[in-house]
Amino acid sequence: MKRFRHHGPVSAAGSVAASVTLATAMTLIAILLVEARGVLDFGFLLGTPSRFAAQAGIGPALAGTLWLTLLTAALACPVGVGAAVYFEEYAPRTRAMLAIESAVANLAGVPPLVFGVAGLALFVRGLGLGSTVLAGGLTLAMLALPTVLVTSKDAIRQVPPGVRAAAYALGATRWEVIRRQVLPAAAPGIVTGLTLALARAAGAAAPLLVIGAASFITYAPGTPGDPLTSLPTQVFAWSAPSQPGFTALAAGAGVVLLALLLVLHLAGLALRRRLAGAAP
Amino acid sequence: MSAPVPPPPPPAPPATPPRDGPHLPAPLLSLGDLSVRFGDRPALSGVTLDIPPGRIVAVIGPSGCGKTTLLRALNRMNEMIPGARTSGSLLFDGTELYRRETDPAEVRRRIGMVFQEAALFPGSVFDNVAFGPRASGFGGDLHALAEEVLTAAGLWAELGENLDVPAASLSAGQRQQLCIARALAVRPQVLLLDEPTTALDPTATARIESLMHAQLPHLTIVIATNDLRLAARASNLTAFLDRGELVEYGPTETLFTNPAHPHTESYLTGRIP
Repeated sequence: MKRFRHHGPVSAAGSVAASVTLATAMTLIAILLVEARGVLDFGFLLGTPSRFAAQAGIGPALAGTLWLTLLTAALACPVGVGAAVYFEEYAPRTRAMLAIESAVANLAGVPPLVFGVAGLALFVRGLGLGSTVLAGGLTLAMLALPTVLVTSKDAIRQVPPGVRAAAYALGATRWEVIRRQVLPAAAPGIVTGLTLALARAAGAAAPLLVIGAASFITYAPGTPGDPLTSLPTQVFAWSAPSQPGFTALAAGAGVVLLALLLVLHLAGLALRRRLAGAAP
Repeated sequence: MSAPVPPPPPPAPPATPPRDGPHLPAPLLSLGDLSVRFGDRPALSGVTLDIPPGRIVAVIGPSGCGKTTLLRALNRMNEMIPGARTSGSLLFDGTELYRRETDPAEVRRRIGMVFQEAALFPGSVFDNVAFGPRASGFGGDLHALAEEVLTAAGLWAELGENLDVPAASLSAGQRQQLCIARALAVRPQVLLLDEPTTALDPTATARIESLMHAQLPHLTIVIATNDLRLAARASNLTAFLDRGELVEYGPTETLFTNPAHPHTESYLTGRIP
Protein backbone atom coordinates (compact mmCIF):
# COMPACT_ATOMS: atom_id res chain seq x y z
CA MET A 1 0.00 0.00 0.00
CA LYS A 2 1.31 3.33 -1.04
CA ARG A 3 -0.17 5.43 1.74
CA PHE A 4 2.22 4.04 4.29
CA ARG A 5 5.25 4.90 2.21
CA HIS A 6 4.23 8.35 1.12
CA HIS A 7 6.68 10.98 2.27
CA GLY A 8 6.30 14.63 1.35
CA PRO A 9 9.10 17.06 0.56
CA VAL A 10 9.09 18.31 4.13
CA SER A 11 9.78 14.84 5.40
CA ALA A 12 12.59 14.40 2.86
CA ALA A 13 14.19 17.71 3.81
CA GLY A 14 13.85 16.72 7.45
CA SER A 15 15.67 13.46 7.00
CA VAL A 16 18.47 15.22 5.08
CA ALA A 17 18.79 17.75 7.89
CA ALA A 18 18.87 14.98 10.48
CA SER A 19 21.56 13.11 8.52
CA VAL A 20 23.70 16.24 8.23
CA THR A 21 23.42 16.85 11.97
CA LEU A 22 24.32 13.29 12.79
CA ALA A 23 27.21 13.27 10.31
CA THR A 24 28.61 16.49 11.78
CA ALA A 25 28.57 15.07 15.28
CA MET A 26 30.12 11.79 14.15
CA THR A 27 32.87 13.62 12.21
CA LEU A 28 33.65 15.77 15.22
CA ILE A 29 34.03 12.76 17.48
CA ALA A 30 36.02 10.86 14.84
CA ILE A 31 38.47 13.75 14.39
CA LEU A 32 38.92 14.07 18.15
CA LEU A 33 39.56 10.33 18.49
CA VAL A 34 42.05 10.29 15.61
CA GLU A 35 43.86 13.34 16.96
CA ALA A 36 43.97 11.87 20.44
CA ARG A 37 45.20 8.44 19.39
CA GLY A 38 47.97 7.12 21.56
CA VAL A 39 47.33 9.74 24.22
CA LEU A 40 44.49 8.25 26.22
CA ASP A 41 45.86 6.07 29.00
CA PHE A 42 45.88 6.06 32.77
CA GLY A 43 49.04 8.14 32.92
CA PHE A 44 47.26 10.84 30.91
CA LEU A 45 44.13 10.71 33.06
CA LEU A 46 45.94 10.89 36.37
CA GLY A 47 49.13 12.73 35.42
CA THR A 48 49.87 16.41 35.88
CA PRO A 49 50.69 19.05 33.26
CA SER A 50 54.27 19.05 32.15
CA ARG A 51 56.55 20.98 29.83
CA PHE A 52 57.04 17.73 28.00
CA ALA A 53 54.03 16.62 25.99
CA ALA A 54 54.86 12.95 26.48
CA GLN A 55 54.62 13.26 30.25
CA ALA A 56 51.68 15.66 30.55
CA GLY A 57 48.34 14.59 32.05
CA ILE A 58 44.97 16.01 32.93
CA GLY A 59 44.65 14.89 36.56
CA PRO A 60 44.24 18.37 38.07
CA ALA A 61 41.99 19.56 35.23
CA LEU A 62 39.75 16.49 35.55
CA ALA A 63 39.50 16.91 39.32
CA GLY A 64 38.81 20.61 38.81
CA THR A 65 35.96 19.96 36.42
CA LEU A 66 34.44 17.34 38.74
CA TRP A 67 34.61 19.85 41.60
CA LEU A 68 33.15 22.64 39.48
CA THR A 69 30.24 20.48 38.28
CA LEU A 70 29.49 19.37 41.82
CA LEU A 71 29.61 22.95 43.17
CA THR A 72 27.49 24.26 40.31
CA ALA A 73 24.86 21.59 40.92
CA ALA A 74 24.87 22.17 44.67
CA LEU A 75 24.42 25.93 44.22
CA ALA A 76 22.25 26.27 41.11
CA CYS A 77 19.81 23.43 41.87
CA PRO A 78 18.34 24.64 45.19
CA VAL A 79 18.42 28.31 44.22
CA GLY A 80 17.04 27.76 40.71
CA VAL A 81 14.28 25.35 41.73
CA GLY A 82 13.45 27.46 44.77
CA ALA A 83 13.11 30.59 42.66
CA ALA A 84 10.97 28.69 40.15
CA VAL A 85 8.64 27.55 42.95
CA TYR A 86 8.43 31.13 44.20
CA PHE A 87 7.66 32.59 40.78
CA GLU A 88 5.07 29.94 39.91
CA GLU A 89 3.37 29.36 43.26
CA TYR A 90 3.85 32.39 45.48
CA ALA A 91 4.75 35.54 43.55
CA PRO A 92 1.91 37.96 42.87
CA ARG A 93 1.10 38.24 39.17
CA THR A 94 2.01 41.89 38.94
CA ARG A 95 3.54 43.65 35.98
CA ALA A 96 6.79 44.22 37.88
CA MET A 97 7.02 40.52 38.76
CA LEU A 98 6.48 39.48 35.14
CA ALA A 99 9.21 41.93 34.08
CA ILE A 100 11.62 40.42 36.60
CA GLU A 101 10.75 36.92 35.40
CA SER A 102 11.40 37.73 31.77
CA ALA A 103 14.64 39.53 32.65
CA VAL A 104 15.87 36.45 34.50
CA ALA A 105 14.80 34.22 31.62
CA ASN A 106 16.78 36.40 29.20
CA LEU A 107 19.92 35.81 31.26
CA ALA A 108 19.87 32.29 29.84
CA GLY A 109 20.93 33.79 26.52
CA VAL A 110 23.78 35.91 27.86
CA PRO A 111 27.21 34.74 26.57
CA PRO A 112 29.16 32.74 29.19
CA LEU A 113 32.07 35.16 28.82
CA VAL A 114 29.97 37.92 30.37
CA PHE A 115 29.35 35.76 33.42
CA GLY A 116 33.12 35.47 33.72
CA VAL A 117 33.45 39.25 33.86
CA ALA A 118 30.76 39.40 36.55
CA GLY A 119 32.38 36.52 38.45
CA LEU A 120 35.76 38.25 38.36
CA ALA A 121 34.31 41.41 39.87
CA LEU A 122 31.99 39.67 42.33
CA PHE A 123 33.76 36.60 43.61
CA VAL A 124 37.46 36.84 42.71
CA ARG A 125 37.87 40.48 43.75
CA GLY A 126 34.66 41.45 45.57
CA LEU A 127 34.59 38.52 47.96
CA GLY A 128 38.34 38.16 47.71
CA LEU A 129 38.14 34.47 46.84
CA GLY A 130 40.93 34.73 44.28
CA SER A 131 41.15 32.39 41.30
CA THR A 132 39.92 29.38 43.24
CA VAL A 133 37.69 26.42 42.50
CA LEU A 134 35.02 28.04 44.69
CA ALA A 135 35.07 31.27 42.66
CA GLY A 136 34.78 29.13 39.52
CA GLY A 137 31.89 27.16 40.95
CA LEU A 138 30.04 30.32 41.93
CA THR A 139 30.57 31.81 38.47
CA LEU A 140 29.37 28.66 36.71
CA ALA A 141 26.39 28.48 39.08
CA MET A 142 25.42 32.00 37.93
CA LEU A 143 25.71 30.75 34.37
CA ALA A 144 23.55 27.69 35.04
CA LEU A 145 20.95 29.42 37.20
CA PRO A 146 18.78 31.03 34.49
CA THR A 147 18.50 27.74 32.58
CA VAL A 148 17.61 25.80 35.73
CA LEU A 149 15.04 28.47 36.63
CA VAL A 150 13.37 28.62 33.22
CA THR A 151 13.13 24.86 32.74
CA SER A 152 11.95 24.30 36.33
CA LYS A 153 9.29 26.97 35.93
CA ASP A 154 8.07 25.25 32.76
CA ALA A 155 8.05 21.86 34.45
CA ILE A 156 6.06 23.26 37.40
CA ARG A 157 3.61 24.94 35.06
CA GLN A 158 2.99 21.60 33.32
CA VAL A 159 1.47 20.11 36.47
CA PRO A 160 -2.25 19.85 35.66
CA PRO A 161 -4.34 22.51 37.46
CA GLY A 162 -6.84 19.80 38.38
CA VAL A 163 -4.21 18.05 40.49
CA ARG A 164 -3.50 21.27 42.38
CA ALA A 165 -7.20 22.00 42.91
CA ALA A 166 -7.84 18.44 44.10
CA ALA A 167 -4.95 18.68 46.55
CA TYR A 168 -6.16 22.00 47.96
CA ALA A 169 -9.71 20.65 48.19
CA LEU A 170 -8.38 17.89 50.45
CA GLY A 171 -7.32 20.51 52.97
CA ALA A 172 -3.64 20.59 52.09
CA THR A 173 -1.66 23.75 52.73
CA ARG A 174 0.21 25.40 49.91
CA TRP A 175 3.49 23.91 51.05
CA GLU A 176 2.00 20.40 51.25
CA VAL A 177 0.65 20.77 47.74
CA ILE A 178 4.04 21.90 46.46
CA ARG A 179 6.02 19.30 48.37
CA ARG A 180 3.82 16.27 47.76
CA GLN A 181 2.26 16.95 44.36
CA VAL A 182 3.83 19.77 42.38
CA LEU A 183 7.52 19.02 42.90
CA PRO A 184 7.28 15.23 42.44
CA ALA A 185 5.25 15.72 39.25
CA ALA A 186 7.67 18.36 37.96
CA ALA A 187 10.82 16.48 39.01
CA PRO A 188 11.55 14.75 35.66
CA GLY A 189 11.36 18.07 33.82
CA ILE A 190 13.50 19.75 36.45
CA VAL A 191 16.15 17.05 36.10
CA THR A 192 16.23 17.54 32.32
CA GLY A 193 16.81 21.26 32.75
CA LEU A 194 19.43 20.68 35.40
CA THR A 195 21.32 18.27 33.14
CA LEU A 196 21.35 20.75 30.28
CA ALA A 197 22.47 23.59 32.51
CA LEU A 198 25.23 21.52 34.10
CA ALA A 199 26.47 20.35 30.72
CA ARG A 200 26.64 23.94 29.54
CA ALA A 201 28.50 24.98 32.69
CA ALA A 202 30.91 22.02 32.67
CA GLY A 203 31.90 22.73 29.08
CA ALA A 204 32.38 26.48 29.48
CA ALA A 205 35.96 27.69 29.20
CA ALA A 206 35.50 31.42 28.64
CA PRO A 207 34.20 32.48 32.07
CA LEU A 208 36.88 30.44 33.82
CA LEU A 209 39.64 31.97 31.69
CA VAL A 210 38.34 35.42 32.60
CA ILE A 211 38.43 34.68 36.31
CA GLY A 212 41.95 33.31 35.98
CA ALA A 213 41.96 29.53 35.58
CA ALA A 214 45.46 28.10 35.58
CA SER A 215 46.67 25.61 33.00
CA PHE A 216 49.79 24.51 34.79
CA ILE A 217 48.88 23.20 38.19
CA THR A 218 50.80 20.19 39.33
CA TYR A 219 48.40 18.92 41.98
CA ALA A 220 44.71 18.13 41.81
CA PRO A 221 42.47 20.55 43.71
CA GLY A 222 41.40 18.84 46.93
CA THR A 223 39.23 21.59 48.38
CA PRO A 224 37.17 24.45 46.89
CA GLY A 225 39.85 26.84 48.13
CA ASP A 226 42.53 25.38 45.82
CA PRO A 227 43.62 27.12 42.59
CA LEU A 228 41.17 26.88 39.71
CA THR A 229 41.76 24.57 36.79
CA SER A 230 39.40 22.67 34.49
CA LEU A 231 39.22 20.49 31.39
CA PRO A 232 37.87 23.16 29.00
CA THR A 233 40.55 25.67 30.00
CA GLN A 234 43.19 22.95 29.72
CA VAL A 235 42.00 22.15 26.20
CA PHE A 236 42.23 25.84 25.40
CA ALA A 237 45.75 26.16 26.79
CA TRP A 238 47.02 23.11 24.93
CA SER A 239 45.53 24.18 21.62
CA ALA A 240 47.43 27.46 21.58
CA PRO A 241 49.66 27.87 18.47
CA SER A 242 52.71 28.27 20.69
CA GLN A 243 52.22 24.68 21.89
CA PRO A 244 52.40 22.66 18.66
CA GLY A 245 53.34 19.43 20.39
CA PHE A 246 50.29 19.51 22.62
CA THR A 247 47.51 19.30 20.02
CA ALA A 248 47.01 15.60 20.64
CA LEU A 249 46.76 16.28 24.36
CA ALA A 250 44.10 18.92 23.72
CA ALA A 251 42.14 16.38 21.68
CA GLY A 252 42.59 13.80 24.44
CA ALA A 253 41.30 16.20 27.08
CA GLY A 254 38.40 16.99 24.74
CA VAL A 255 37.53 13.30 24.49
CA VAL A 256 37.57 12.98 28.28
CA LEU A 257 35.33 16.06 28.58
CA LEU A 258 32.87 14.59 26.07
CA ALA A 259 32.87 11.29 27.94
CA LEU A 260 32.14 13.16 31.16
CA LEU A 261 29.21 15.00 29.56
CA LEU A 262 27.89 11.71 28.21
CA VAL A 263 27.98 10.24 31.72
CA LEU A 264 26.18 13.34 32.99
CA HIS A 265 23.43 12.95 30.38
CA LEU A 266 23.03 9.24 31.06
CA ALA A 267 22.81 9.90 34.80
CA GLY A 268 20.19 12.58 34.13
CA LEU A 269 18.25 10.19 31.92
CA ALA A 270 18.35 7.42 34.52
CA LEU A 271 17.27 9.79 37.29
CA ARG A 272 14.45 11.11 35.10
CA ARG A 273 13.22 7.58 34.40
CA ARG A 274 13.25 6.79 38.08
CA LEU A 275 11.40 9.96 39.04
CA ALA A 276 8.82 9.56 36.29
CA GLY A 277 8.07 6.00 37.36
CA ALA A 278 8.13 6.59 41.09
CA ALA A 279 5.09 7.37 43.17
CA PRO A 280 5.17 10.74 44.89
CA MET B 1 -17.39 43.50 27.03
CA SER B 2 -20.60 44.10 28.86
CA ALA B 3 -22.08 41.14 30.60
CA PRO B 4 -25.64 40.52 29.58
CA VAL B 5 -27.82 42.19 32.12
CA PRO B 6 -29.84 39.57 33.87
CA PRO B 7 -33.55 40.17 33.51
CA PRO B 8 -34.99 41.70 36.61
CA PRO B 9 -35.46 38.78 38.91
CA PRO B 10 -39.13 38.03 39.02
CA PRO B 11 -40.34 38.99 42.45
CA ALA B 12 -39.12 35.95 44.24
CA PRO B 13 -41.80 34.01 45.91
CA PRO B 14 -40.29 33.24 49.25
CA ALA B 15 -37.98 30.30 48.81
CA THR B 16 -39.37 27.56 50.94
CA PRO B 17 -37.22 27.82 54.01
CA PRO B 18 -36.39 24.30 55.04
CA ARG B 19 -36.27 25.29 58.69
CA ASP B 20 -40.03 25.74 58.50
CA GLY B 21 -40.35 22.01 58.29
CA PRO B 22 -40.79 20.74 61.80
CA HIS B 23 -38.60 17.73 61.09
CA LEU B 24 -35.51 19.60 59.91
CA PRO B 25 -32.68 20.04 62.39
CA ALA B 26 -30.72 23.27 62.84
CA PRO B 27 -28.66 24.12 59.77
CA LEU B 28 -25.07 22.92 59.50
CA LEU B 29 -24.27 25.44 56.79
CA SER B 30 -26.03 28.74 56.60
CA LEU B 31 -25.51 31.06 53.67
CA GLY B 32 -26.48 34.69 54.19
CA ASP B 33 -26.60 36.93 51.15
CA LEU B 34 -23.55 35.15 49.76
CA SER B 35 -22.20 36.71 46.56
CA VAL B 36 -19.17 35.94 44.42
CA ARG B 37 -17.68 38.13 41.70
CA PHE B 38 -14.89 37.28 39.30
CA GLY B 39 -13.42 40.68 38.52
CA ASP B 40 -16.41 42.65 37.24
CA ARG B 41 -18.53 39.64 36.52
CA PRO B 42 -21.00 38.58 39.18
CA ALA B 43 -21.19 34.79 39.36
CA LEU B 44 -23.37 34.39 42.42
CA SER B 45 -25.72 37.07 43.70
CA GLY B 46 -27.01 37.19 47.22
CA VAL B 47 -27.76 33.55 47.89
CA THR B 48 -29.42 32.85 51.22
CA LEU B 49 -30.18 29.28 52.20
CA ASP B 50 -29.74 26.78 55.02
CA ILE B 51 -28.31 23.30 54.66
CA PRO B 52 -29.37 20.88 57.37
CA PRO B 53 -26.97 18.17 58.52
CA GLY B 54 -27.19 14.62 57.26
CA ARG B 55 -29.07 15.48 54.10
CA ILE B 56 -28.34 15.49 50.41
CA VAL B 57 -28.90 18.86 48.82
CA ALA B 58 -29.00 19.04 45.03
CA VAL B 59 -28.12 22.24 43.21
CA ILE B 60 -29.61 22.38 39.74
CA GLY B 61 -29.79 24.99 37.01
CA PRO B 62 -28.62 25.67 33.48
CA SER B 63 -24.91 25.64 32.62
CA GLY B 64 -23.16 28.75 33.83
CA CYS B 65 -25.84 29.52 36.41
CA GLY B 66 -23.36 29.46 39.26
CA LYS B 67 -23.71 25.90 40.58
CA THR B 68 -19.97 25.32 40.64
CA THR B 69 -19.30 28.78 42.06
CA LEU B 70 -21.81 28.13 44.83
CA LEU B 71 -20.14 24.84 45.72
CA ARG B 72 -16.67 26.33 45.62
CA ALA B 73 -17.85 29.19 47.80
CA LEU B 74 -18.79 26.69 50.51
CA ASN B 75 -15.19 25.60 51.12
CA ARG B 76 -13.40 28.73 49.97
CA MET B 77 -12.08 27.17 46.77
CA ASN B 78 -12.94 30.30 44.80
CA GLU B 79 -9.94 31.94 46.43
CA MET B 80 -7.76 29.89 44.10
CA ILE B 81 -9.11 31.92 41.18
CA PRO B 82 -7.35 35.27 40.71
CA GLY B 83 -9.78 38.17 40.93
CA ALA B 84 -12.47 36.28 42.83
CA ARG B 85 -14.22 38.22 45.60
CA THR B 86 -16.74 36.84 48.01
CA SER B 87 -19.13 38.80 50.20
CA GLY B 88 -21.90 37.89 52.58
CA SER B 89 -21.75 35.34 55.31
CA LEU B 90 -21.28 31.62 55.51
CA LEU B 91 -21.87 30.02 58.87
CA PHE B 92 -20.64 26.49 59.45
CA ASP B 93 -21.93 25.06 62.68
CA GLY B 94 -22.31 28.64 63.86
CA THR B 95 -18.80 29.77 62.89
CA GLU B 96 -18.24 32.32 60.15
CA LEU B 97 -15.97 30.75 57.53
CA TYR B 98 -15.18 33.96 55.68
CA ARG B 99 -13.21 35.54 58.46
CA ARG B 100 -9.65 36.58 57.93
CA GLU B 101 -8.38 34.39 60.72
CA THR B 102 -10.10 31.25 59.45
CA ASP B 103 -7.60 28.86 57.90
CA PRO B 104 -8.90 27.87 54.44
CA ALA B 105 -7.04 24.54 54.63
CA GLU B 106 -8.92 23.72 57.83
CA VAL B 107 -12.21 24.71 56.17
CA ARG B 108 -11.47 22.30 53.32
CA ARG B 109 -10.68 19.49 55.73
CA ARG B 110 -14.16 19.90 57.21
CA ILE B 111 -15.86 20.56 53.88
CA GLY B 112 -14.37 18.34 51.21
CA MET B 113 -14.90 18.56 47.49
CA VAL B 114 -14.94 16.27 44.45
CA PHE B 115 -14.76 17.77 40.98
CA GLN B 116 -16.41 16.91 37.71
CA GLU B 117 -13.16 15.76 36.19
CA ALA B 118 -11.51 13.15 38.35
CA ALA B 119 -8.00 14.57 38.63
CA LEU B 120 -6.07 11.70 40.13
CA PHE B 121 -2.66 12.08 41.66
CA PRO B 122 0.15 10.14 40.03
CA GLY B 123 0.95 6.83 41.69
CA SER B 124 -1.18 4.15 43.22
CA VAL B 125 -4.66 4.07 44.68
CA PHE B 126 -3.02 4.19 48.09
CA ASP B 127 -1.01 7.30 47.19
CA ASN B 128 -4.24 8.99 46.23
CA VAL B 129 -6.08 8.09 49.40
CA ALA B 130 -3.12 8.82 51.67
CA PHE B 131 -2.42 12.33 50.41
CA GLY B 132 -5.16 14.12 52.32
CA PRO B 133 -4.61 12.41 55.69
CA ARG B 134 -0.84 12.85 55.40
CA ALA B 135 -1.19 16.51 54.53
CA SER B 136 -3.30 17.07 57.61
CA GLY B 137 -0.92 15.18 59.87
CA PHE B 138 -2.89 11.94 60.31
CA GLY B 139 -0.94 9.73 62.68
CA GLY B 140 -2.95 6.49 62.56
CA ASP B 141 -2.93 3.43 60.34
CA LEU B 142 -3.15 4.73 56.78
CA HIS B 143 -3.72 1.28 55.32
CA ALA B 144 -6.70 0.61 57.56
CA LEU B 145 -8.09 4.04 56.73
CA ALA B 146 -7.60 3.45 53.01
CA GLU B 147 -9.36 0.10 53.20
CA GLU B 148 -12.25 1.68 55.08
CA VAL B 149 -12.86 4.56 52.69
CA LEU B 150 -12.36 2.42 49.60
CA THR B 151 -14.94 0.01 50.98
CA ALA B 152 -17.29 2.93 51.58
CA ALA B 153 -16.75 4.06 48.02
CA GLY B 154 -17.50 0.55 46.73
CA LEU B 155 -14.04 0.13 45.28
CA TRP B 156 -12.26 -2.16 47.71
CA ALA B 157 -13.55 -5.47 46.34
CA GLU B 158 -13.17 -4.28 42.75
CA LEU B 159 -9.51 -3.51 43.31
CA GLY B 160 -9.03 -7.07 44.53
CA GLU B 161 -8.28 -5.62 47.94
CA ASN B 162 -5.05 -4.28 46.55
CA LEU B 163 -3.93 -0.75 47.37
CA ASP B 164 -1.02 -0.79 44.96
CA VAL B 165 -3.13 -0.70 41.80
CA PRO B 166 -1.95 2.25 39.67
CA ALA B 167 -4.62 4.94 39.83
CA ALA B 168 -4.20 5.55 36.09
CA SER B 169 -5.49 2.04 35.32
CA LEU B 170 -8.98 2.68 36.73
CA SER B 171 -12.10 3.22 34.62
CA ALA B 172 -13.87 6.59 34.57
CA GLY B 173 -16.42 5.48 37.14
CA GLN B 174 -13.77 3.96 39.38
CA ARG B 175 -11.74 7.15 39.17
CA GLN B 176 -14.66 9.16 40.46
CA GLN B 177 -15.20 6.58 43.20
CA LEU B 178 -11.53 6.94 44.12
CA CYS B 179 -11.91 10.72 44.24
CA ILE B 180 -14.78 10.30 46.66
CA ALA B 181 -12.82 7.77 48.75
CA ARG B 182 -9.89 10.19 48.79
CA ALA B 183 -12.16 12.98 50.02
CA LEU B 184 -13.73 10.73 52.68
CA ALA B 185 -10.27 9.84 54.01
CA VAL B 186 -9.96 13.34 55.47
CA ARG B 187 -13.22 12.66 57.36
CA PRO B 188 -15.10 15.77 56.31
CA GLN B 189 -18.47 16.73 57.77
CA VAL B 190 -19.68 18.02 54.44
CA LEU B 191 -18.89 16.68 50.97
CA LEU B 192 -19.36 18.88 47.92
CA LEU B 193 -19.81 16.95 44.68
CA ASP B 194 -19.53 19.06 41.55
CA GLU B 195 -21.26 17.21 38.72
CA PRO B 196 -19.61 13.96 39.74
CA THR B 197 -21.61 11.83 37.32
CA THR B 198 -21.51 13.96 34.18
CA ALA B 199 -18.86 11.79 32.55
CA LEU B 200 -20.29 8.52 33.81
CA ASP B 201 -22.62 5.90 32.39
CA PRO B 202 -25.85 5.02 34.23
CA THR B 203 -24.34 2.06 36.07
CA ALA B 204 -21.49 4.11 37.44
CA THR B 205 -23.92 6.91 38.28
CA ALA B 206 -26.08 4.47 40.24
CA ARG B 207 -23.02 3.42 42.21
CA ILE B 208 -22.11 6.97 43.12
CA GLU B 209 -25.72 7.49 44.13
CA SER B 210 -25.79 4.50 46.43
CA LEU B 211 -22.48 5.36 48.02
CA MET B 212 -23.80 8.85 48.75
CA HIS B 213 -26.76 7.35 50.56
CA ALA B 214 -24.52 4.98 52.48
CA GLN B 215 -22.67 7.94 53.97
CA LEU B 216 -25.79 9.43 55.54
CA PRO B 217 -26.53 10.58 58.19
CA HIS B 218 -22.94 11.22 59.27
CA LEU B 219 -22.14 13.21 56.17
CA THR B 220 -23.92 16.16 54.62
CA ILE B 221 -23.75 16.19 50.85
CA VAL B 222 -24.22 19.07 48.44
CA ILE B 223 -24.29 17.91 44.84
CA ALA B 224 -24.36 20.14 41.78
CA THR B 225 -25.77 18.28 38.83
CA ASN B 226 -27.29 18.64 35.39
CA ASP B 227 -28.92 15.26 35.80
CA LEU B 228 -32.42 16.21 36.95
CA ARG B 229 -33.44 12.61 37.45
CA LEU B 230 -30.47 12.05 39.72
CA ALA B 231 -31.38 15.18 41.68
CA ALA B 232 -35.01 14.08 41.96
CA ARG B 233 -34.11 10.54 43.03
CA ALA B 234 -31.23 11.15 45.35
CA SER B 235 -31.66 14.44 47.16
CA ASN B 236 -33.70 15.57 50.14
CA LEU B 237 -33.62 19.23 49.20
CA THR B 238 -33.12 20.96 45.89
CA ALA B 239 -31.95 24.46 45.06
CA PHE B 240 -32.64 25.88 41.62
CA LEU B 241 -30.16 28.52 40.51
CA ASP B 242 -30.38 30.72 37.46
CA ARG B 243 -27.93 33.45 36.41
CA GLY B 244 -26.29 33.44 39.78
CA GLU B 245 -29.49 33.83 41.74
CA LEU B 246 -31.36 31.38 43.87
CA VAL B 247 -34.77 31.02 42.30
CA GLU B 248 -36.23 28.37 44.52
CA TYR B 249 -35.12 26.10 47.33
CA GLY B 250 -37.11 23.49 49.13
CA PRO B 251 -37.83 19.82 49.66
CA THR B 252 -36.99 17.96 46.46
CA GLU B 253 -40.40 16.37 46.11
CA THR B 254 -42.20 19.70 46.39
CA LEU B 255 -39.83 21.45 44.04
CA PHE B 256 -40.13 18.80 41.37
CA THR B 257 -43.87 18.14 41.62
CA ASN B 258 -45.20 21.51 42.61
CA PRO B 259 -42.64 24.24 42.00
CA ALA B 260 -43.57 27.55 43.54
CA HIS B 261 -41.87 29.56 40.83
CA PRO B 262 -42.94 29.50 37.18
CA HIS B 263 -39.29 29.76 36.15
CA THR B 264 -38.49 26.57 38.01
CA GLU B 265 -41.33 24.81 36.29
CA SER B 266 -40.22 25.89 32.84
CA TYR B 267 -36.66 24.70 33.55
CA LEU B 268 -37.84 21.35 34.88
CA THR B 269 -40.07 20.80 31.87
CA GLY B 270 -37.33 21.82 29.46
CA ARG B 271 -39.08 24.99 28.31
CA ILE B 272 -36.31 27.35 29.24
CA PRO B 273 -36.56 30.63 27.32
